[in-house]
Amino acid sequence: MSFRLTPLQRRSIFLCLMAAPAAIHVAVFALYPILRGMGFSLFQMNLMQPWIHHFVGLRNYTDALTDPTVRRSLVVTIIFTVGCVAAELVCGLCLALLLWRDSAFNRFATTLMLVPITVTPIVVGLIFRALLDPSFGLIGYWLLQAGLAPPQGLLGDTHTALATMMGIDVWEWTPLVALILLAALKALPADILDAAEIDGAGGTRRLTRIILPMLLPSLFLVLALRFTDVFRTYDIVFAATAGGPGDSTNLLMLLAAKEGLTFFDIGYGSAISILMTLCIVLMVALLIVTLRSLDRRMNQA
Amino acid sequence: MKRRTLLATGIGTAAAMTWSRRGWSQSKPFDGMTLRLACVNDQYSPGIKTLAERFKQESGVTILVDILGYGELQTKITTDYVGHTKGYDLATTDNVWAPQLAEAGYTVTLNDWMKHDAEEMKLDDIYPVLFPALGNYDGKQVAFPLAGYANVLAYRKDLYKAANLQPPATMQALVSAAYKLTDKSRNQYGWVANGQKGAACAQDWMQYLAEVGGVLVQDGKPTLDAAPNVKSLTTYRDLFQKAAPPGAVNWDWDGREASFRNGLAANMQTWSVGALGYFDPTQSKVTETAALMVTPTATGMKPRYGIGGWGIAINADIEDRRKEAAWAYIKWITSPEIHKALNLLNAGSFLRKSEIHDPQLNQKYPFLPVIDESFTHGDPDFRPRVPQYPQIQDILGTAVNSALVGASSPQDALSAAQTQALRYF
Amino acid sequence: MSRRLSRPTLVAQRSAVIIALVVFLAPVLWLALTAYEPSRAIQSTPPLPWFVPGLANFVIIAQQFDLAKLTLGSAVISAGSTLLSLLLGIPCGYALARARHRGAIILAYVFLAIRGVPTVVTLIPFYLFMRQIHLLGTWWAVILMNATLSTAFVAWMMYTAFRTVPTEIEDAAIVDGCGGFGAFWRVALPLVRTSVVASALLCMMFAWNDYLNPAFLTRAETRPLSVALLTAFGGPTTSSWGTLGAMAHISTIPIILVALVLNRFLVAGLIRGVH
Repeated sequence: MSFRLTPLQRRSIFLCLMAAPAAIHVAVFALYPILRGMGFSLFQMNLMQPWIHHFVGLRNYTDALTDPTVRRSLVVTIIFTVGCVAAELVCGLCLALLLWRDSAFNRFATTLMLVPITVTPIVVGLIFRALLDPSFGLIGYWLLQAGLAPPQGLLGDTHTALATMMGIDVWEWTPLVALILLAALKALPADILDAAEIDGAGGTRRLTRIILPMLLPSLFLVLALRFTDVFRTYDIVFAATAGGPGDSTNLLMLLAAKEGLTFFDIGYGSAISILMTLCIVLMVALLIVTLRSLDRRMNQA
Repeated sequence: MKRRTLLATGIGTAAAMTWSRRGWSQSKPFDGMTLRLACVNDQYSPGIKTLAERFKQESGVTILVDILGYGELQTKITTDYVGHTKGYDLATTDNVWAPQLAEAGYTVTLNDWMKHDAEEMKLDDIYPVLFPALGNYDGKQVAFPLAGYANVLAYRKDLYKAANLQPPATMQALVSAAYKLTDKSRNQYGWVANGQKGAACAQDWMQYLAEVGGVLVQDGKPTLDAAPNVKSLTTYRDLFQKAAPPGAVNWDWDGREASFRNGLAANMQTWSVGALGYFDPTQSKVTETAALMVTPTATGMKPRYGIGGWGIAINADIEDRRKEAAWAYIKWITSPEIHKALNLLNAGSFLRKSEIHDPQLNQKYPFLPVIDESFTHGDPDFRPRVPQYPQIQDILGTAVNSALVGASSPQDALSAAQTQALRYF
Repeated sequence: MSRRLSRPTLVAQRSAVIIALVVFLAPVLWLALTAYEPSRAIQSTPPLPWFVPGLANFVIIAQQFDLAKLTLGSAVISAGSTLLSLLLGIPCGYALARARHRGAIILAYVFLAIRGVPTVVTLIPFYLFMRQIHLLGTWWAVILMNATLSTAFVAWMMYTAFRTVPTEIEDAAIVDGCGGFGAFWRVALPLVRTSVVASALLCMMFAWNDYLNPAFLTRAETRPLSVALLTAFGGPTTSSWGTLGAMAHISTIPIILVALVLNRFLVAGLIRGVH
C-alpha cells in the first residue's frame, strides 16, 4: 500500500527531528539526575549515616515549610531576586541602548563590558569583600572615614548587607542582560525604525511604543533567565558574607547547599531545592501571564 | 603558597638528595602504583606536593596530589565514600570529621597497623594528644595525625611594653589588656577574632569559651545556653564592639590574620600554622614586634590549650594492596626525617617531639617551645567531638554572629541555638 | 541604527559608556593589580593604591600550577560545551519557533524549569551517573553537564530570535525547492547571526567561569582554570591575594581575546541586517 505524507506532516516530522537531539540530551543528562534527586527528597537519608534510609513521604517538605529559618530565608531570597532582576533589567537596557549605534568605540566597549562575566562568581564575592572591608578595603575604608558606611562596613551591618549584595549581583550580571538585549536590538528590522523616524516620533515615544514592544520576547527571555539564576545565587554571597550578618543575606540556596553538601542530609537538602524550583516555576509563570497581558495591551494601543 | 617557596624548594631538594640514599629505597613492593591523595589547601599542601616526587623516587609509587579547598574537599571525598567510587585512596581529614567517619566506616581503622608498626614509626615520638585530637573517635583511629596545630596567643611585644603591661597570664588579663591597648585614633585595636557567620566565628568562640571553662555538650546533651556560656558570649560581643577593628564581624581567618600582620590588632588567638607569616617581611609589618605565647585561661583554671589540625585517612573501599601502599605512604610522610623536610618546606605543621627540639627547625620557627607546651598540656576536646558537631558548629555560627552584630542578645541567640541543637540529639 | 548623532549627544553617550566601563572594570583591575604587590601592601590600612611592583606572584603560580594544562582544560571544556550547546540548541530553538503545536511551548518551558533546579539536587546523582558510564573525571562529564544548562539557554535565545524572522521568506525558499532544512540553514540562520554569536559568547563564558561542576567532575589532570583560581587563593590560614590576582590574568585574558574576535561577527550580522 503506498503511503504519502502531506507537506504539513512532513514539516512536523522535520521540526520534531530538529528538536529531538536537544530534548533527548536534556532528558538523559538533566531530567534523569533530577528525578533521582527528587526520589531522595522522599527519604530520610544522611550520607554520613548510611544506615539511616527510610521512606518518609513528604515529611522533608513539611519540615522545610514549617522551619522558621527557611521562611526567613525565603523572604530574603524573594527580596534579593526581585531587586536584582529589576535593577539588572533597567541598567542592562540602558547600556544596550547606549551601545546600540555601531562604531569602533561601541564595539570595543561591548567587549570590555563583558569582563565581569568572565570572573568566577566566588572570586567576584572575594573581590568585593576585600574592596568593601572597612579596615583594608580601597572603597570600604574611605566610605567609613567619610561616614558613609556603618561602623562595621557595608557587609557587616544587618541593615546594609542585603542591599550591598544586590549591588554586587547587579555589577556581575548587568553585562549579560545588556548583551542579550543588544543582540536583540541589532536584529530589529531597520525599515520599521526608519519609518518611525520619518513619522517624527520622539525618542521616548519611539522607545516605549515601538522598540520595547518589539523587544518583548527578548525581555521575557532575560527576565526568565535572570529570575531562575538569581533565585539560586550562591557563590557571591557565600564568599562575601556566608549568609551573615545574622540571617540578613541567608539565601535559600545557602541553606540548601549547607543541608545537602555540608551536612549531607541529602533528603532535606533536596526537598528545599525542589521547593525552590517550584518557586521559580511559579515566578516565571507569573511573569508569562504579566507579559502576555502587557503584550495584548500594547498591541491594542 | 608562601613567597619563600623558591628558597624553600631549594632547601627541600637539597635535603631530598642527602636523605634519599637511606632506608626505604632498597625494596619497592608497590613499584608502579599510583595513589590519589585529596589534600586540603593549607600551609602544608605545597610541601606535600613537592615531597611526592621524592616518594616516587624512593618507592616507585606515584602520589597524585589533588589540592582542594575546604568545602570542596569535604563534599568531594564524602561523595566518593558514599558512591563507593574509589576516586581517592587517601584524603587529608579535618579532626572534627572523625566521629562521622568512624560511625559510617568510610575510612580504614588504623589501630592494628599502628600497633604493629609502633616501633618502626617511633609513635612515642609523636605528642600523645595528637592521636585523639586528629582523627580518633571512640577508640577508633580513623585518620593518622598529619599536621598538628596549637592554638596560641599572638601579641605585640612593643605595645605591651609601651603600655607598661605584662603579657596576659589569664583570660581576664587578656580582656583588660585588649581594652587598654585599643586606641581608635591611632588605628590600634586590642582584640581580633573571626566574626564571620558560620564556621569562622563558631570555631573562634568555641576556643575562647573553652578557655573560660564553658561546656557545650555534657553527658551527650547540648548545653549551649548554660549561664556561663551566655556570660562568655556577652564579654566576647563587647570585645568585638569596643576593641576589634572595623569589619571584624565579617572576617574569617584571612582578614583576622591580615589584621595582625599589618599591625592593626595587638592580640590574636590563632592556630600556630600561620605564625611563620608574622616573621616574613614580605607579608608582615610586625616581624620585629610579634611574639607568641600559650593561650591564657580563666583565673584558677587548669590550662586548656586547643589542639587542631589535620589527619590523613585511607579510603575503606579500595583494594587491600592499595590500602597497604597508602599505609606505607602515611608511614613515610609522618616519619621523623620526611616530616621535618615537610616543615622545612614551610608546612608549620608539627607532630613529633624530635621536630620541636630540632635546631634547624627552631631556627626557622622561633616559637617552637610555645607549641611544645601547648601540645604537652593540650585539650583535644575544646570543640565537642560528637557526630553532631557539624550541626552544632553551624547553629553556633549563626548564633554567635547574630550576637556580635547586635541582631539579637547573647541570651536570645544561645537559647534559640539550644532549641535548634536539641533536634539533633 | 545608522543615523548620525549630533556632537553633544555623542559626547554624552561616550561619557556614559566610559563611566559604566570604569564601574565594570575597576574591581577586576584591582584584583589584577594585586598580582604585582607584595602581600603586606594588599591588606594594609589605610589602603593605598601605590606600591613597588614585582613579579614574584607570577613565578609562584608558574611553579605551583601546570598553566598550559589548566588553560587547555578550560579551552576544551568551554569550546566543547559551546559547540555541543549550539549544535543541540539552535535546531531546537528553530523547531520551537516554527512549530504550531502546543507541545512545543511546553517543551520550551520544561527547558527553562530544568535550568532552575538547584545543583544540590542534581550534583550527586549526576556524579554517580558519570561513574556508571565511565566518564567521571573526564572533560566529557563537565561538557555534558554544562550543555544541559546551556542547551536550554541557546534554545530559548534562538526561539526568541527565529520568531522575529518572517515565515514568508522561508516559505518562498521552500517553494523554490530549498527543502525544510535548506530554508533553515540558508535563509533563516543567516538572519539571526547576531543571536547565534551572542549565545555562543555567553555559553562560552558560563562554561569558562563555572566552578562547582568542574570541581566535582574533573580530576587533577583535567582541571580547568576556574578551579585552580580558588586553589591559588589558598586555604583558610594561607589566603594569598597576590597569587589569585596573577592567576586571574591567565584566566581572564584568553576569554577577552576570544570575545574581541567574536564581537566582530556580532557587527557583521548587523551590517547584513541593514541591507
